Amino acid sequence: MQLFIGGTRAGKRGIVRQRFDAAVWHSAHAGCALKAWPSAVESARCLVLEGWERWLAARLADEPSDDRLRQVMSTELDALREWEARSGGEVVLVMLEMGRGIVPLSAEKRRLRDLNGWLAQDAAARCERAWYVWHGLLKQLSY
Amino acid sequence: MIAFVSGGARSGKSTHAEALARRWQTERGGARYYLATARGGDDAEMQARIERHRRSRGEGWITLEEPFDLLAALDRVAPGSTLLLDCLTLWASQLLYASPLDEAQGIAIVERTLAEARRRNVGLVIVSNDVNEGMPPDDDETWRYLAFLQQVHCLVARQADEVVQVVAGLPQSWKSQGSRQP
Repeated sequence: MQLFIGGTRAGKRGIVRQRFDAAVWHSAHAGCALKAWPSAVESARCLVLEGWERWLAARLADEPSDDRLRQVMSTELDALREWEARSGGEVVLVMLEMGRGIVPLSAEKRRLRDLNGWLAQDAAARCERAWYVWHGLLKQLSY
Repeated sequence: MIAFVSGGARSGKSTHAEALARRWQTERGGARYYLATARGGDDAEMQARIERHRRSRGEGWITLEEPFDLLAALDRVAPGSTLLLDCLTLWASQLLYASPLDEAQGIAIVERTLAEARRRNVGLVIVSNDVNEGMPPDDDETWRYLAFLQQVHCLVARQADEVVQVVAGLPQSWKSQGSRQP
């Protein structure tokens, strides 16, 4: 499993498209639900998942506990890794860096920002490689 | 030669870019120009910022002022010289909000400026500010600005020979002559 992380419009999508040209995309921006990824991998050897901040945002209201929500997302990451091991496929996670600005005024946004940061940490910890995308350029993050 | 230097607010990016421009001028000869995108105006804070930058730059710069027409500014630079452009964030906001031009015309200006700088052997050092790693904007106008700025950043980073991210005054290289992307 690999992680590509970068800020808004940093060029993540273009870089991932170029490197994984045969991948199936499971994107929150295309209306896909996170839970629905198993149906997307039926035909795929490589699965790209993007829009994690949207999947998180959609769950904020239903799950008031940060710890439990973080756990739910981690379980999903574990399931993706298990699919890789079982099928010999490849998972690519595209995540948004949003933690480097001013602390948001709204409690909901602060919560989303916190959970998004933890999600990125939990994802990187489960990946073999992590990449930082900055203005269309790519750098491998060291472990 | 084109360099792109970016980083957070007060990360030391201008200081690094100025040093780079001085080095290029020493190596390549010619004059050293500073293209200020900021207009003095009546704003006391802006004047103080401009004055602080001017003091820290020191002597030896020919200052050009041009809010958005970078090509017109480049026309005032002697071929073979070094030109420091500081900074793209301000240029982008002036282009979108204080000029009759739109995003496509802005991109065209940047593309032509990069190409002309190469053709005229002008060493161009471009400074900008990273503003896309916080919460994504939730209003359309800020989105429009950020999308345009990032389009410009990606374009300049792709074309530049040298790309540096400055963190706490320390230049981190993303691209240097001869290096390849992973």
